[in-house]
Amino acid sequence: MAAAIETRIEPDLVDIDRHVQQTLAPGGLKYWLWVLFCAFWTAVGGAFWTNQIYNSFEPTGYGQPTMWAVYITDFVFWVGIAHSGTLISAVLFLFRVRWRTAIFRLAETMTVFAVATAGLFPLVHLGRVWFFYWLVPYPNERYLQPDFRSALDWDLFAISTYLTTSVMFLFVGLIPDIANAREKAVGFRRTLYSILSFGWRGSDRQWRNFSMVYLLLAGFATPLVLSVHSVVSWDFATTQLPGWHSTIFAPYFVAGAIFSGCALVLTLAIPMRRMLKMESLITIWHLDNLSKMVLLTSVVMTYSYATESFMVWYAQDPIELATFHERYFGPQAYLFWMMIFCNCVAPLPLFLPRVRTNTIWLFIISIFVNIGMWLERFVIFVGSLSTNADPSQWKFYTPHLVEVAMTIASFGWFLMNFSLFAKFLPIVSMTELKEGIGYLKQAVRGVYPYRKAA
Amino acid sequence: MSGEIALVSTFASEEGCARGIEELHEARVHDFKAFMPFPAEHVLEASQHARGQGRSRVRLAVLIGGFTGFFTAIIMTVGTSLEWGINVGGRPIASIPAYIVIMFELMILFGGVSGVITFFILSGLPAFDPETGYRSRFGVDKFGLVVRCGEAEAEKLESILVGAGAEAVEREAVVVEHGAAHH
Repeated sequence: MAAAIETRIEPDLVDIDRHVQQTLAPGGLKYWLWVLFCAFWTAVGGAFWTNQIYNSFEPTGYGQPTMWAVYITDFVFWVGIAHSGTLISAVLFLFRVRWRTAIFRLAETMTVFAVATAGLFPLVHLGRVWFFYWLVPYPNERYLQPDFRSALDWDLFAISTYLTTSVMFLFVGLIPDIANAREKAVGFRRTLYSILSFGWRGSDRQWRNFSMVYLLLAGFATPLVLSVHSVVSWDFATTQLPGWHSTIFAPYFVAGAIFSGCALVLTLAIPMRRMLKMESLITIWHLDNLSKMVLLTSVVMTYSYATESFMVWYAQDPIELATFHERYFGPQAYLFWMMIFCNCVAPLPLFLPRVRTNTIWLFIISIFVNIGMWLERFVIFVGSLSTNADPSQWKFYTPHLVEVAMTIASFGWFLMNFSLFAKFLPIVSMTELKEGIGYLKQAVRGVYPYRKAA
Repeated sequence: MSGEIALVSTFASEEGCARGIEELHEARVHDFKAFMPFPAEHVLEASQHARGQGRSRVRLAVLIGGFTGFFTAIIMTVGTSLEWGINVGGRPIASIPAYIVIMFELMILFGGVSGVITFFILSGLPAFDPETGYRSRFGVDKFGLVVRCGEAEAEKLESILVGAGAEAVEREAVVVEHGAAHH
């Protein structure tokens, strides 16, 4: 189907407020049914986790040699998802990229809830979860401290700093918009917005400090985009396991994180702009640019896969060769080839402007990428552990009901939080749209480079 | 001060509001407050120039916070390693390269948190008291310039604001504000 470019009346400043504030109208029956559906899956996950805490890992498929499997796959998947949010909100802010204005809040929100979801999985993975705080340095009677040389401890610092910085960045940016929403709200919402906006009035003094703190937080968040997923990759790369012990892991993981995150922004933005009637704010121009990011990172991923394979072939290490042989041709090779299709082949139609401006195609491709990136983590973690350096230990892992339920529950938990946020707080930044209204008007008219002739 | 009022002027554009500030500055009037729906560059530049302000002090707070985090991480990682040193094959007890990640993360964390706290303090937040001259439209599509003055000067300042392009100028009684200083 040809691209359906919506023709809209150019929005002015009042229209931006009206459009965004109508998304805060109380949700209908369908909305609450959806939230309940997500809450149900969250509760299912909670029940399975409780069972696991009481009965240990016996109901799962975990066992030697695969002691890190779906939970760590989910952890890395969700951390990766978070990264594009920071990329869109912070890195593109520093570069003054105008198309970010309509979608960065959505991406930032996604970041916060994705990190909050990811953070649960190391806990789920612990046999005795009540001792999780042993990773945190605290004064104790035995003078014991965590090993700061351990990549797992780096991870604790990296993820908690990332979550705190992301929450601050999101919240500071929200204050002027919440203050704006406060003026028209009534009842409970007015009270809520009054408290959350801290009495913001938008005076020159407030904006002056706001601009500075926002710029500096963006500056801080930018190296975090690179560092956090690098640290996550070192959880694996610092071990001696074939398939993990590689210097390519940090850039490879960062590129993959941005790839999967941009795809999930598309997956969320496309239905949301329709449901919340925001086609004139999140335009095809925004989606088109986002899909270019997906395409670019897809090509980088293809290159990374090729480089990884080349390095194994070039080194001629027999154990690495055996592991990769199993990955490409072993009993679970179909997962690897599905991953290659989803991450390297499915995004290629995005080279065509027609595809990039068609929301249906974009949505389908984004789903492929989401699946592909989850599979990538599964193939790397589970595949390498299953075929470790000692062939007598080799055993292929299959997820059991518990792991499948917990993975679905993570989506339920994420979507529930995201949906509640979208109804109670402005999911599109009014402030930044107003700042760049000239670009928004152009986008609504459909004026962007390759469509000028149309 | 008895007889003090606020002139609340409304501008349709940021350029008009900035012009208003410049003309007030020329008339040596600096007891004003500008309101805007987004951080309008012209208005911020004009108000900074009029008040002789430099850049926000949030920068300094972030720098101090960043250094504090960095040195906290050094003390924590090196200190705990030395407190219970374990010699593993003659490797250094305190291995700095492995601690760089912790130093980096705590630098970001402390810098960010101190920046946000300072932003709240310098911006006078939270501020739940009513504010003189504030209109909800100043958060939507209009720019506001509120000038405090004595009744005797009001007429002269009104003509300055109208001359700068104000759509409307209203007079309002000054609300007694609690909390942070005016500027």
